[in-house]
Amino acid sequence: MHNDLFSNPIFNFLAVTIVLALPLLLGAMGGLTSERSGVINIGLEGMMLIAACACSLAGQKHGPIAGLAAGIFAAIILALLHWLMTQVYRIDHVISGMAINAFGAGGSNFLFNRFYDTTQSASSPMLPIWIYKWIAFLVPIGMWIYLKKTRGGLHLMAVGNDPDKARLVGIQPLKVRFVALLATGIFTGLGGVALVTDTGIFTDDMTAGKGYIALAALILGGWRPIPAMLACIGFAFFSALRLQLEGNQHLPQIPSEAWSSIPYLVTIIALAGLLGKTKAPAGLGKP
Amino acid sequence: MNWRLVALIVGSLALLAGAVMMAGASPAVALSTLFKGSLGSPQAISGTLRESTPLLIAGLAVFLSLRAGLFNIGVEGQLIVGACACSVIALRFPGPIGIILGTLGAMIAGALWALPAALIKAYRNGHEVITTIMLNNIAGYFTGYLVAGPIRAPGQQNTTTADITPSTHLPNVFNNGPLTVNIGIFVGIVLAILAALWLKRTVAGYELQTVGANSTAAKLAGIRTERVIVKAMLASGAIAGLGGAIQVLAYEGRFYLGFSPGYGFDGLGIALLAGGSAYGVIPAGFLFGVLAKGGVSLGIQQIPKGITVVVLGMAILIAAAIRYRKVKTVA
Amino acid sequence: MRGITQRFGAVTALDNVDLEVEKGAIHAIVGENGAGKTTLMRILYGAQRPTEGALEIDEQSVEFATSKQAIAAGIGMVSQHYGIIPELSCLQNLILGAEGGLIIDSAKATERAQALATKMGFEFDWPALAATLSPGATQKLEILKLLWRNARIMILDEPTAMLSPADGDALFASMRQLASEGATVLLVTHRLPEVMDHCSRVTVLRGGKWVAEKAVSETNTKELAQLIVGTSEPFPVLAATPVASQKEGLKIENLVVRGERGEDKLKSVSLTAKRGEILGIAGVDGSGQRELFHAIAGTLSPKSGEISMDGAAWTKASTADRIEGGLRVIPEDRHAEGVVEAWSLEENSALGLQRLPALAKGPWVDLEARKTWAEQVAAKFKTRHGGLGLPMASLSGGNQQRFVAARALEMSPQLILAFQPARGLDLGGSAHVYQAIRGRVTAEAVAVIVSFDLDELLEHCDRIVVMNRGRLSEPSPGQGKDRDAIGRLIVGVT
Repeated sequence: MHNDLFSNPIFNFLAVTIVLALPLLLGAMGGLTSERSGVINIGLEGMMLIAACACSLAGQKHGPIAGLAAGIFAAIILALLHWLMTQVYRIDHVISGMAINAFGAGGSNFLFNRFYDTTQSASSPMLPIWIYKWIAFLVPIGMWIYLKKTRGGLHLMAVGNDPDKARLVGIQPLKVRFVALLATGIFTGLGGVALVTDTGIFTDDMTAGKGYIALAALILGGWRPIPAMLACIGFAFFSALRLQLEGNQHLPQIPSEAWSSIPYLVTIIALAGLLGKTKAPAGLGKP
Repeated sequence: MNWRLVALIVGSLALLAGAVMMAGASPAVALSTLFKGSLGSPQAISGTLRESTPLLIAGLAVFLSLRAGLFNIGVEGQLIVGACACSVIALRFPGPIGIILGTLGAMIAGALWALPAALIKAYRNGHEVITTIMLNNIAGYFTGYLVAGPIRAPGQQNTTTADITPSTHLPNVFNNGPLTVNIGIFVGIVLAILAALWLKRTVAGYELQTVGANSTAAKLAGIRTERVIVKAMLASGAIAGLGGAIQVLAYEGRFYLGFSPGYGFDGLGIALLAGGSAYGVIPAGFLFGVLAKGGVSLGIQQIPKGITVVVLGMAILIAAAIRYRKVKTVA
Repeated sequence: MRGITQRFGAVTALDNVDLEVEKGAIHAIVGENGAGKTTLMRILYGAQRPTEGALEIDEQSVEFATSKQAIAAGIGMVSQHYGIIPELSCLQNLILGAEGGLIIDSAKATERAQALATKMGFEFDWPALAATLSPGATQKLEILKLLWRNARIMILDEPTAMLSPADGDALFASMRQLASEGATVLLVTHRLPEVMDHCSRVTVLRGGKWVAEKAVSETNTKELAQLIVGTSEPFPVLAATPVASQKEGLKIENLVVRGERGEDKLKSVSLTAKRGEILGIAGVDGSGQRELFHAIAGTLSPKSGEISMDGAAWTKASTADRIEGGLRVIPEDRHAEGVVEAWSLEENSALGLQRLPALAKGPWVDLEARKTWAEQVAAKFKTRHGGLGLPMASLSGGNQQRFVAARALEMSPQLILAFQPARGLDLGGSAHVYQAIRGRVTAEAVAVIVSFDLDELLEHCDRIVVMNRGRLSEPSPGQGKDRDAIGRLIVGVT
């Protein structure tokens, strides 16, 4: 029996927007903890991808909860690798991020093709998606509280603004960033799992740039949790709009590729129009 | 060599060996397959040189941008639009004219594709990594649309343009039976040498590298950093476009959906491996060519191709770790 | 502290140094740059572990592996380069590292902060960002930080380096108050007047070794200076007479520079600096001198106003054009603005001069000429280095500064624009640099020197002007070298 509300196209549109926003939201929060601690992180894409892959692999064999755990675990590994490379080996943060993306892409391709049992059904069992909807909207609020009201949050901001001065008062940037990147792994892991939860099927490169769009949303939001959340919803809105209008008879013949390009175009325009005013954490990239 | 670096290299190799074994092959066999498949015969060597050509040029494009302090990850998209433009022009103007015009058109297309990212970085400080990656995606969609519709070869089911005439191909330099070497690879090598000389011996090259090394000092040194950034990105894009053109004119003879298997991304690895001098791009490009050609043979061994991307990541990290060692105070 | 020895590889920073300080005293530690003062204090603060030696507090042996332990033992340090993070609020800066629990209770913290501040006679807007604080206020916040953590032993490392004379006096008033309540204050400084005015005892270090310890009442600045430098003769200061010149020199008219937040950083500044003279620009950090510096260099565009050199308009000229016209810059921060640490000395020698005909043949770099030039630059101030092909990072800070200064002075400078040109150099090195500047100026160049150290300017400049809150003022005729008069201008008292 259908409730009138649920077949309302606007409601439908909102629902689609929210689902599309989930990986962006969680990815952006993962980027937030990292960058607010001073670690540039463009590797969100790779982390989400490997999480999605691990989730579908483990889910197939051991069920949805194992899938969730495996996804988060995989993302944490890549996130901590990023910590190791940037903090211990002192490698340029952007380079390390690109390497993480390479590991995510190559690793997920390798593992999936090697281990996925194609004789069984194409999709792995997943937890219901409303769980992730709740998480994805609670996390930004939680981060906001964390930054404003806790000791850990203050230490994070101190390290992200000036690690040397933080050292003077006895804070250890190395440790703070470890915890920060651990959180990045958890959030991006959740993001990757949320991404694959929709259909249960993992495909090569299924993130398709969402990690970068999440980062762009973070930048647009001035590295603050609530504005970043709004930016993510904004981006998701355009993606949803594309799905809605594609193939619509009333509109002129616009090729599907043009529609696919919209989220990326919007990102570029956003970065061109608004950057220069927002302030990045002052210590981004400092050892 | 410090122990940390050694740990990194050993760890990577161990991981690789483990992955190979996971895929059901032995690392020793995998390694020999790799080398046999890339260097073990005249055909293999021809194939490796062929693979190396676009890699070398893409690597050079990224290298140049890196020297200016920019991460041009957009080489992928710039190469594709360059190749697309070249094929369209070469079809329209067959023969040597087509080669010249096609190449020029490709370079312009590549530079144009880098322009938005260049401007946003120079004047809005928008991170070029994100903008260029976005442009990559759009390039894929845009050329995909073109090659499925307006420029598709008439009567073709596949998404591809028509083949260019044989007279529009770049000639082979060697044609000794199984060993064929196209002039394209030499174009790449010469380009790398020219770039190295330009960077070392011209004032403009010096100023570009200053911007990349310390943009604040560059300003005080009288350098107009915004202009240098834009020019560097445009040049980088043009070189990438050139790579696409060479790929069409020397080897492929046409443009099709899925033209690039990720040359742009590999370009970053090559640029990092090259170290501080453009000359280094040449051996780095060959190394990746070996990996690419040999990787095909590996695929026959049931090892998923994702592993070459993982190797790429490891190479990037190791190269970067070597670059960033600390300098001791002497005086 | 007994027998403290600190070695960094081949360098012995401290050699068997003893230090004994009484509770409730204000004890000075003096010495040249590189004498080891800061290193000794860092050891006390736990930021450094001594290679050898022992620490005792209240007759009990202690050892600090980290600053955290030192802080717990009641030691606090206010370092030269402030530890205040501008992007955080005043309250956040105050409690950072000593929040007292996982959750931050802002109300309670503000209460305690306010109590401490009132006790010292300070005032703060706690939620405001620390970026809004003046240098004097920042210093006060640093002191409150120590009090917040119940510090009983306070180390002040060159605290007045960037303060106006008035702020400096206020600082010492606070120190006296704290000392009278039983706190122990260690003052690291190279300003002898401060030592004589405010301290009870003084320890002298030279070249990492303990040289002397005296009661302030039993010595004087001359004796202390001799102990510090180790020779009986102070460095001869060249008497300077401005050279009369036909050419006009630098002229700035009604320059206005707008800052990031819309406020005017330079408010209609006008000045002239004639050829043959050395002009000093004094003022507290943040008064606009940095903006003036960059406007002259061409790296900051003014909103309105004119700049000209020898009558030729420079307002729209690019930095490259100005360099061609003879501008030579010694920047404030050589690491961020003057050198590329990873590049060789030779490559660095051309920085800023790369287009000049001496180093370039049209679009080509003249590699031979550059090599010769690099040798010349290195030789000028006897920069110690391990080879011109080695990276700049292989040089110590002082040697890097020598290199940068020489680079600016050796290729026919017409306008020398310098920001603390002797930064990081000891008395000898500093004298050499200023001698060289004077030499060039006598040969008809003009020099504009920005510094926070009024004494440095008084010693070496012909004329001094003062920046305060974006405005330029000049001392009245006859008071051109009057320290007190200029000090008043620096603070804004007319």
